[in-house]
Amino acid sequence: MVNLFRLRKTTPRLERLHTLSLFVNLTPAELRIVDGLLHERDYLEGEVIFDEGEEGQAIYIVASGEVLICRQEHAEVGNSRAADSAMPHPRRRQGDSGRVAQLGPGTFFGELALLDNSPRSAQARAAKPCKLIVFFRDDFVSLLDTHARIASKISRELARHLGARMRTMALSMGARQHIV
Amino acid sequence: MAIIAVTCLLLLVFQKVLWLVVPFLLGLILYYFLYPPVRSLIYSGMSRDAAASVVTLAFLVLLALAVASMMPRLTSQVSHWQDTLDRYVQGGTQLLDASLRSLESHWPTLARARLADTVAARLNQGAGNISDHIEPVALGIMAWTPSLLLAPFLAFFFLRDGRRFKRFLSAAVPNAFFERTLYLLHEIDRTARAYFQGLINLTILDTVTLAAGLWLLGIPGPLTLGVICAVLAWVPYVGSILGGLLVVLVAATDFPNDPAMAYWAIGLFGLVRLLDDFFYMPLTIGKSLELHPLVTVLMIFVGGAVAGVPGLMLVLPVLGVVMVVGETIGMIVTDPRLMARHRHARNLRREQVSSDL
Repeated sequence: MVNLFRLRKTTPRLERLHTLSLFVNLTPAELRIVDGLLHERDYLEGEVIFDEGEEGQAIYIVASGEVLICRQEHAEVGNSRAADSAMPHPRRRQGDSGRVAQLGPGTFFGELALLDNSPRSAQARAAKPCKLIVFFRDDFVSLLDTHARIASKISRELARHLGARMRTMALSMGARQHIV
Repeated sequence: MAIIAVTCLLLLVFQKVLWLVVPFLLGLILYYFLYPPVRSLIYSGMSRDAAASVVTLAFLVLLALAVASMMPRLTSQVSHWQDTLDRYVQGGTQLLDASLRSLESHWPTLARARLADTVAARLNQGAGNISDHIEPVALGIMAWTPSLLLAPFLAFFFLRDGRRFKRFLSAAVPNAFFERTLYLLHEIDRTARAYFQGLINLTILDTVTLAAGLWLLGIPGPLTLGVICAVLAWVPYVGSILGGLLVVLVAATDFPNDPAMAYWAIGLFGLVRLLDDFFYMPLTIGKSLELHPLVTVLMIFVGGAVAGVPGLMLVLPVLGVVMVVGETIGMIVTDPRLMARHRHARNLRREQVSSDL
């Protein structure tokens, strides 16, 4: 009972979590709290993790393996929004989707689901057998209410990631002058 | 329709295993009552196991202290319990008799029907000796005690392993349905938490209002009576009537020459019921289940008809959970894309395990 608040040794699992960019600023005690909220899933190569247009409930962190992010090509349709609303669950195969990125261990995707419940903007599919760590939105929201310090550290990493992505997108579109 | 049918079926099953359902339900109420301090301890750096142990232990110690402090008073009164009960029942009967005779004096039709005499004869015939009723009640309490003692232990395990159970459940679900299942578990937890925390808040509000009203009327033991009536009100309708009868008996017996006191007590109960229905319930439980008031009332009647008093008590939380589960399973089963993804994943797994055959 006396040692209830004593710091405990970190475990290999916590060390692995600490290497993930989203949790890099968390202390071992904070990591232990977050670890209690995380889920682990195994996916086979080619297995769909989530679909474009599906309501997002969680963020995924790649623990091992690779994940392909791909988006349906809308060029011939003209209006992607119209296409999405007409086809809420578009059926796609690996070959006929526009590849957006291939993500490796330590990276995360589906992060917008932590912020709102808007539809997924792309499909995620396992490019190789992979192990994913899943952080459910409602667990993150309860963390914001009950442990704002941890949630703010995760939010800051999330904001950094989104900022970097915006910068990359703007640069790729040749709009450098608009970036502050 | 299917949701109502499943709710009725569950109520029928629960009625058969009431010895397990009641401690489970009390354990859940205790879990939601003790959850906030456990959460505070976890976020101040304590492990979940330690926080659950500390809070449960503290609760048991407080309970033991409360019982120990009441024990000398209770044991000194045990020998008078039968007399006291007899006195209160007699007080109630006298009040009823006086009220009926007063009505008879104003309404000749009732006097001709000799209403007061008929009711008094029926009561004497039905009530018999009070000791005949005490024995089965005492035996019932003794039979239920081991089962009720389960509640704190169940609450402890809910507090300690609730999250593990959620992870275990979600781990057993195929990848295609994982996000939806997580959402479902969260919604069930949210519904149950809102309902039981609402119930605790409602009990506190009822206790305070009743105790204040009884204290203003000058009825003895207002806080104890308030707590008993507020807890009895967990059983819709029947519980409130029992609580009202209890207070009227106390008022009629302790103020035998002042029947107005009993009428004031009835008025107070009517007022608290109105407050419950129009202010407290919508503020606490009503919002949690997001049920239409008409559906709520109809389901309470259905629950009572299907499973009696336990049905009255269980129908709303069971309906809330069945609604969430039913809606989510319906969403999953009728989503062709999710089913196709699940079939695809199963094929991939089959190919993987048979690739070298």
